[in-house]
Amino acid sequence: MTHIPRIGIGGPVGSGKSMLIERLVPMLAEKGYSVSIISNDVISKEDADRIRDNLATKRGLLPENLVIGLATGGCPHTAIREDPSMNLAVIEEIESKHTELDLIIIESGGDNITTTFSPILADYSMYIIDVAGGDKYPRKGGLGIESCDLLVINKIDLAMMVGADLDIMRTDAKKIRNEKPFEFINCKTDEGVMKIAEHIIRDVLLDSVPKSAIAQKV
Amino acid sequence: MNIDEIEQELGVMQLSDSFFPTGIFATSNGLEFLFKEKKIQGMTDVVEIIKINILQQIGPSDCVALANAFDSACKNDFDKVIEADNIGFATKSIKEIRNASTRSGIQLIKCVSEFVKDDKILNQYKEDVIKNKVYGVFPVAFAICCNALKIKKEKSMMMMLYGFTVGVVGAALRLGLIQHFEGQKIIHSVKPIISQTIKEYSNKSLFEMWQFAPQVDIIQMSHEKMDSKMFIT
Repeated sequence: MTHIPRIGIGGPVGSGKSMLIERLVPMLAEKGYSVSIISNDVISKEDADRIRDNLATKRGLLPENLVIGLATGGCPHTAIREDPSMNLAVIEEIESKHTELDLIIIESGGDNITTTFSPILADYSMYIIDVAGGDKYPRKGGLGIESCDLLVINKIDLAMMVGADLDIMRTDAKKIRNEKPFEFINCKTDEGVMKIAEHIIRDVLLDSVPKSAIAQKV
Repeated sequence: MNIDEIEQELGVMQLSDSFFPTGIFATSNGLEFLFKEKKIQGMTDVVEIIKINILQQIGPSDCVALANAFDSACKNDFDKVIEADNIGFATKSIKEIRNASTRSGIQLIKCVSEFVKDDKILNQYKEDVIKNKVYGVFPVAFAICCNALKIKKEKSMMMMLYGFTVGVVGAALRLGLIQHFEGQKIIHSVKPIISQTIKEYSNKSLFEMWQFAPQVDIIQMSHEKMDSKMFIT
């Protein structure tokens, strides 16, 4: 079976996980990359339905059936780490039927700074926080912030209003992550989001040519 | 206990542990729908739901599939294992229950195959799972894994029934229907049902398999259609 590269996106409720996906997918689609999205949600299919509506139904960037909501019995952290069985089952079904895909994005719900993805589930993980949590957030650490492949700090436009100092966040992020990358973004305006797409293309897709482009040449 | 018996008991503990990865923690078997509709209210109702499920569905259907698959696996009769898989799948009339059962069963087989390498039926079943030639329903997958770990048939049935009970109790706890002491009281009160079920269905043939719980079916179908839900089923 073809292994399709997988990214896990975790982070607190309201930090902008779904919004980041909604901004990233069009950028990746413009470069020819095909994506499927699995949204693990604590209480509803709301995120998956919204993403499906925005990216599939309205804009046609991916088929509706490739935006999948997965109920996790109130344990989204378990579903992506200790027991990723249901996610893996869904991914295996996708991999067997949709070999044309370049990437699978797995969004985790939940509100826990210790969230991490099982290495068998995600090849690369991002953890997203926002400035409204205060500029202490990066230095608080937690497995999610410390160990992810890319830390994303969202809503930088709100920093002034909530009294968060971005320089402090930058210094602390650098220190706590031991030089592993982090990016500041604002999903509302797309500021910095292209950089996240570039990380994905370089570090996850290894600058590979989109499968759709290869198929066209053949 | 000798060394072999101790190892078998450790196998029982390993497969029965909620830490064992099969994804079943994400299912409530329709309990969530009843809770949202305010048709269930606490410990007594949760016990009733578990009893109905075991007596009308899991006992006469899943336990019979498990027992037959187990006997066939012991005899190295792969065709009969497949027959149990086919009939077990056919009895699961609710789409999400059917999907959850096969997804869990397939993941169970893949997981146990990682550490048991010398069981012919397990290896053959896993190969057919990968090729999509078998359904991989949970009771059949569970029977194959228990047999591969030298766990006895009745214990395998007990583990599956116990796992189901704990799953529903876990869902009830997370929904806030009961508190943790009540959860243990429920498990204790269901023990006689589990033991009777094992006694009754451990030697039935596949052709004696049945299940009849129309209200449970309707509840599970209704759960399938809910817009907002925490559990898969």
